[in-house]
Amino acid sequence: MSTETAAVQPAGPGVITGARWRRLLLRMILMAGALFLIMGPLLSLLIWSFAEKWYWPSPWPLEWGTSYWSKVFEGKMMDALISSFLIAIAVTVICLIISIPLSYMLARYRIPGRTILLLLFLLPQAFPQLPVFSNAMVLMYRWDLVGTWTGVILIHLVGSVVFCIWTMVSVFQSIPESMEEASTMLGASKLRSFFTITLPLAVPGVIASSLLVFLYSLDEFTGSLLIGAPFKTTLPVFMYNAAMGYEMQIASVTAILLMLPGIILLLMMQKFMKSEYLSAFGRV
Amino acid sequence: MNNAQTARAAGKARTAKIPSSIWKWLAGAGIAAPAVSIVGIFFVYPFIQSLTESFRTEDGTYTLANYSKAFRLYAGDMWFTLWVSGLSLGLLLLLSVLLGGLLRLKTASLVEFLFKIPLFVPFVVVGHAMRVFLAPHGTLNSALMPLGLYDPDQVPSIAFSTAGLVLALVWKNIGFALLLVLGAFRGVDNSYLEAARNQGAGSFRLIKDILLPMGRGSIGVVAVLTFSSMMGSFSIPAMMGSADGKQMLMVDLYYQIVYQQDYGVANALGVISYLVSMGAAIYYMKKVVKA
Repeated sequence: MSTETAAVQPAGPGVITGARWRRLLLRMILMAGALFLIMGPLLSLLIWSFAEKWYWPSPWPLEWGTSYWSKVFEGKMMDALISSFLIAIAVTVICLIISIPLSYMLARYRIPGRTILLLLFLLPQAFPQLPVFSNAMVLMYRWDLVGTWTGVILIHLVGSVVFCIWTMVSVFQSIPESMEEASTMLGASKLRSFFTITLPLAVPGVIASSLLVFLYSLDEFTGSLLIGAPFKTTLPVFMYNAAMGYEMQIASVTAILLMLPGIILLLMMQKFMKSEYLSAFGRV
Repeated sequence: MNNAQTARAAGKARTAKIPSSIWKWLAGAGIAAPAVSIVGIFFVYPFIQSLTESFRTEDGTYTLANYSKAFRLYAGDMWFTLWVSGLSLGLLLLLSVLLGGLLRLKTASLVEFLFKIPLFVPFVVVGHAMRVFLAPHGTLNSALMPLGLYDPDQVPSIAFSTAGLVLALVWKNIGFALLLVLGAFRGVDNSYLEAARNQGAGSFRLIKDILLPMGRGSIGVVAVLTFSSMMGSFSIPAMMGSADGKQMLMVDLYYQIVYQQDYGVANALGVISYLVSMGAAIYYMKKVVKA
């Protein structure tokens, strides 16, 4: 901003013209507006999570405290927290194992039915989940998978596999084929050059995509509600139930717990996250 | 993986007899099998199931009864869903183009970071946060109370209204929309902007006449993707509710499954939602890709 203003109306250093003041003011107002709009709802959660007593119309909680936070470490919330994390880890590991070889194959070889396969993995992104998952629930009832962790993991895998394959295919496509050729030329087997050349080069992409799959599984709500509830409760379902029962503080504490991994990831991975990974993620 | 290994092992045992192309084919099929079967069994099959079941009544005959019931019960909600998704999309595109344009012309990494946050906040959390923020006795009204703008006994409620729903949907999708729009705008060559700026164009003109037309493809992608995502969203409308009795289609669908257990009507609603998202995609292909 400063450079172009200087170009249009050359003002000496230290001389601040009226137009420039106005621009600065406008910028401040926009910044404050953005900050309020984005942080307002999130700060509300934080305030509510520490509110012991809060009656209308007091602008602030009447009593502050951490008693609702201490509830995290007991009873149902802890159960939901632990099982959500375990499920997310299981989903991530299974997802990587089944998607990496397939993504490599899709990226490197002109296999028959390649287009059909890629379209198949696009389908779950293109249509609303709830109507499909409700029919998947009927199917799972038949196999006694409803209300089991296996069922929840399977329904999480649908979305994560799709997501993982699309990001991993683009990761493998970005690794030049000539490197593998050089390795096989020197006598390494195809399998060996995959493990010693291609996979190490793909590690940043694998890490990014596994973190996002982890987050997807942690945040997944629709499938968990249909397949898991009320017998198996993941953290998002727990939060939903608390909020619908007007347990404001409990719901807010859970909401913050759900949000934290994502925010930490965003802070850590600012540089490494390519926008194509993020854009695939934002929709689910 | 197990399948792949067994396929490979089986292939190795018989390499002498079977040509290597079949062996390769088996290995490939083994690698593809787990992922394909998960998506096939738990997405494609239920998807087809919802199509066929929507035409079937409880006695097993194929009719249009489910559809006529769905339209009779939920015609108002269908329009409401389209209206909310359309309005949210309009606001979202306006906001992300303006914001993306300003961020393209002037870097402000704090603002950019701020608007990436909604990308990582789960849908249910957005629903709850907006409820807490916008409810009649929520934090927004509490915070504005000392200003004396309104009577404490008659506070406006944004949360349980169309406005609250639209706001929550826009909030959740802004991260994604801005990411794609800004990506497209960053791809516009600086020389175009410099040339226009030398002719005296201001920021607004630069956005409207250069960035917007050149980023049209990406904006179209954002429009189609977010429209179907908003139309198919379930957790946010379920949590935000609606004061005047209107609901989003996915909430009606959930209600039909869980409380009425009328899968026929639920599937008819599902098929209608598929048609709308397909319609959006086709519209996009015709309007944006062709032009």
